[in-house]
Amino acid sequence: MDKKKEPINNGKLWIGFGILLALITPWYFPESFGEVLVYGIPLWALIIIIGSILLSAFLSYVIKFHWMLEEEKEEAKKKGDN
Amino acid sequence: MDLAFSGWAGVLILLVYGLIMLGVGLFTYLKNKNIHQSMDEYYLGGRGLGVIVLFFTLFATQYSGNTVVGYPPSAYRQGYEYLVSVPFFIMIIVAYLLFAPRLYSLGKKYQLVTPAEWFEKRYHSKSITILASLLMLYGLGNYLLEQLIAIGQGVSGLTGGTIPYQVGVVFFVIIMLIYGWLGGMRSVAYTDTMQGIALLFGVFMLLIGSIIYFGGLPTSADYMQAYSPEKLGIPDGPSVINWFSLLVLIGIGASVYPHAIQRIFSAESERTLKRSFSRMAWMPFLTAGVVFIIGIIGISAFPQLSTAESEQLVGMMASVVANQNIIFYWSMVLLFGGVIAAIVSTADSVLLTFSSIVSNDLYGNYINPKTSQYKKLLVGKLVGVVAVGILILIAWFPPGTLYQIFVLKFELLIQIAPGLILGLYWKRLHPKAVFTGMLAGTIVASLMTILGPSFLGVASGLWGLLLNVIICLIGSLMMNVSMVQENEANQLIEL
Repeated sequence: MDKKKEPINNGKLWIGFGILLALITPWYFPESFGEVLVYGIPLWALIIIIGSILLSAFLSYVIKFHWMLEEEKEEAKKKGDN
Repeated sequence: MDLAFSGWAGVLILLVYGLIMLGVGLFTYLKNKNIHQSMDEYYLGGRGLGVIVLFFTLFATQYSGNTVVGYPPSAYRQGYEYLVSVPFFIMIIVAYLLFAPRLYSLGKKYQLVTPAEWFEKRYHSKSITILASLLMLYGLGNYLLEQLIAIGQGVSGLTGGTIPYQVGVVFFVIIMLIYGWLGGMRSVAYTDTMQGIALLFGVFMLLIGSIIYFGGLPTSADYMQAYSPEKLGIPDGPSVINWFSLLVLIGIGASVYPHAIQRIFSAESERTLKRSFSRMAWMPFLTAGVVFIIGIIGISAFPQLSTAESEQLVGMMASVVANQNIIFYWSMVLLFGGVIAAIVSTADSVLLTFSSIVSNDLYGNYINPKTSQYKKLLVGKLVGVVAVGILILIAWFPPGTLYQIFVLKFELLIQIAPGLILGLYWKRLHPKAVFTGMLAGTIVASLMTILGPSFLGVASGLWGLLLNVIICLIGSLMMNVSMVQENEANQLIEL
């Protein structure tokens, strides 16, 4: 049972989430980022969108590779049933 | 709302949706006749929901018709500051990672059916289980009330008043009760899938139509630069705090809705649950993101609307788009039918969870524990029907005073979070502290909501939650659980 992985027990992942959370909160932009427009989107908003995409990507990664409690057992059982 | 496409087309599409929902219920009933003997089968779809169905039913619990109709007006009024609605929905999935993995494991190990059952298993305390159950029933009841009102308004709007509010509510409630009764979670999840697809399709067509006929984001940005540059600007200090608190606190709050938790138990396997969550992590771009853009386009398409007028924004935009050609016309009919269907699909999930708590935790645990599952199920279903009946009466004859007690939802539902989540990991968490925290949090959150304005701009429910957490922590540190209890808890939460 040593292969079990639970996201909450992995501190490094939460540092990652913390950084991404800081990235998707608009506290760090210089004033000018509200004036520059990229295809009609203010630059600061574009950076928030990119940050959000990174957050979704990181989430998918964590869900896939760092959450492993029952899967092996279940998959083994499924194979056994077939 | 005056819609260009209201009238007979609206009536037709609603009939079609209603018939499909009934068909799904009948089909599920005929394919799974044994489900009325087992709570697992009825309330959790036999713990066998696959990726697609699980995904859409999770989707339906998070996104309601309100997301489509209510979010664009907010974007219209606030401008880019409302972009927070996209990462906000992603944060809900981050919050799930705090407890869903272990809760799935334990749910499977102990065959849990409802969130309240976890409280019973963990704390062996009648008072905690009953308090948590009542909080959930009350919060879910009010949530359901809100959906019923929205169904009535939606139907009368879409059909241009051809179908009055009351008839709309009764029509969909009866359909919902029939398919829910026949197929339980399976019916609910299958109809969620149909409703989700209709809604997504309609929203995309509205986006495409809006870009073609009103111009895209650059047009809107030109307008804002000239007339309302603050809508493009970076949020200022208080807005940043508001943004942050939305992301963190409400993200957690939305993840512990009882009907959302119950879907964790319904997953066929951990892999299924993981895949569904993974997809959900990307959905905010396709839903909240798309409706946000629609709201922003609205700024230049319908400038200078008052707050009340802006609430009708989606209807106005859809009317213009629908007038362009036959494809857009039917897409908009489909969209507005989909909005109503999405509200129904949120309502059915809430009702099913409501019934399950009555069946399993109140009646099945305390009133008549020895009876058959069939009987427990029947009681849950009947109480659900009676509850819906009472809620319809409240929706038609809104009480003049104490209206606020029907507003309490989120404030009450999140008070179960500390006992639920901390209890998964912390073996020394003291049952008395959990009970006191839950009760104190509920009282504070309710009083603050009923009596007055929010404090420091943070939602009242969150102040209750903060007090709740503090009592849980300090109370558990002050009162020691016995070694026996600690060992028991340790064994229980071990994976």
